[in-house]
Amino acid sequence: MSAAPDPRVNETAYRLEARISRLLVAGTYLAIGLVLVGVVAMLATGVDPLALATPTFDAGRIPADVAAGRPEGFLWLGLIAVLVLPLGRVSVAGVGFLAARDTRLALVSLAVLLVVSASILAAVGLER
Amino acid sequence: MIAGLVLLAGGAAVGLFGSLLGLGGGILLVPLLTLGFGRPLREAVAISLVSVIVTSSAGAGIYLRRHVANLRLGMVLELFTACGALLGGLIAFALPVPVLEGLFAALLAYVAFNMLRRRPPKATATPQPPADEVLVPPSGEGTDPVALPAASRATAVPPVAVVPTPAVPMPSTWPFVRSLSGPGYTVTRMPFGVVGAVFAGIVSALLGVGGGIVKVPLMNLAMGVPLKVATATSNMMIGITATSSAVIYLLRDEINPYIAGPVALGVFVGASVGARVINRIDTAFLQNLFVAVLIVTAAQMAAKAVGL
Repeated sequence: MSAAPDPRVNETAYRLEARISRLLVAGTYLAIGLVLVGVVAMLATGVDPLALATPTFDAGRIPADVAAGRPEGFLWLGLIAVLVLPLGRVSVAGVGFLAARDTRLALVSLAVLLVVSASILAAVGLER
Repeated sequence: MIAGLVLLAGGAAVGLFGSLLGLGGGILLVPLLTLGFGRPLREAVAISLVSVIVTSSAGAGIYLRRHVANLRLGMVLELFTACGALLGGLIAFALPVPVLEGLFAALLAYVAFNMLRRRPPKATATPQPPADEVLVPPSGEGTDPVALPAASRATAVPPVAVVPTPAVPMPSTWPFVRSLSGPGYTVTRMPFGVVGAVFAGIVSALLGVGGGIVKVPLMNLAMGVPLKVATATSNMMIGITATSSAVIYLLRDEINPYIAGPVALGVFVGASVGARVINRIDTAFLQNLFVAVLIVTAAQMAAKAVGL
């Protein structure tokens, strides 16, 4: 199968795929960059990752950790960026489908985001 | 500092070998973290999920730029893989760890078996596409900032025997399903796709793998999607599938950032390097070696599961 553009695929879909592609590549570099800063800081401060207990995730503490240059802040920020990236891809696709008046695919995008939201709620529910 | 570097190197090795052998990162990473570093299984699964999201996102970016992945089909199917992943993420915390270890041992044995089956055919045998056939990117490889197979090999490509797409797929009578078809092929048997996608999501969430081992054969054999498109689409879907369960692991404090960080970084770097050297390396020896490693690892994981 050739990767060459097929005339049957409309321009809107191609533009949307190109936009999502840029988001994913740039987002991956951003996320990996943040993780890299965290890893370098971790190595520089002599932290032994295998000796530490798993820290509790607290999103509210991340900005302060980043501002203070603590490795944990950058590591969490990078990992959150990793997790958010696919959601960004779905959101951009959903908006794109909506703009193209493809209501069904826009609703599918929304449903995907709702399922991920349900995962978050389920996790919070399990914690209680 | 040494432990951090060892984790980084371990992740890089997983990314490199996964990339060279067409294995999913999770299938290698989970045993490395549990058996090699003594980490709890759920933590290893969680870290593996983060790593496969990284490589999936990078690979999906390239696939979409080259218009190889079927975005519409992928988004519909990932709705169901996400549901499966939500379910799997909840099941993972309900099942005893030895059961999860037993399931992972079975998965390792299955992958080893399939790697043996897909060895290069003899001249008289039925032609089987080589392992690389599902991995070879469109022309232009090497010009991308993130090499295509780096992600596809590390996350999406299942080590299963591949069979050509059925020649005459039955078109769906549902217009919406027909609208998911791509250039030169028609998507068929959507109900199989839905059920298989849910199953792939459960497997991914339980065992920390991308689920391509289920999705690619499903799309290719049951739904009439060409292998390369199925591989690319599966790779794209992994991000949402893994995120759906990874957030459960995250909020249940199963992700250790000090371990996940160097491992994910290492996997990304290793997979990228692997994608660039793949054409210069004879992977036949590596594959044989790896089958042996998988069998030994499966045995160790099984022994751990039964408390030996």
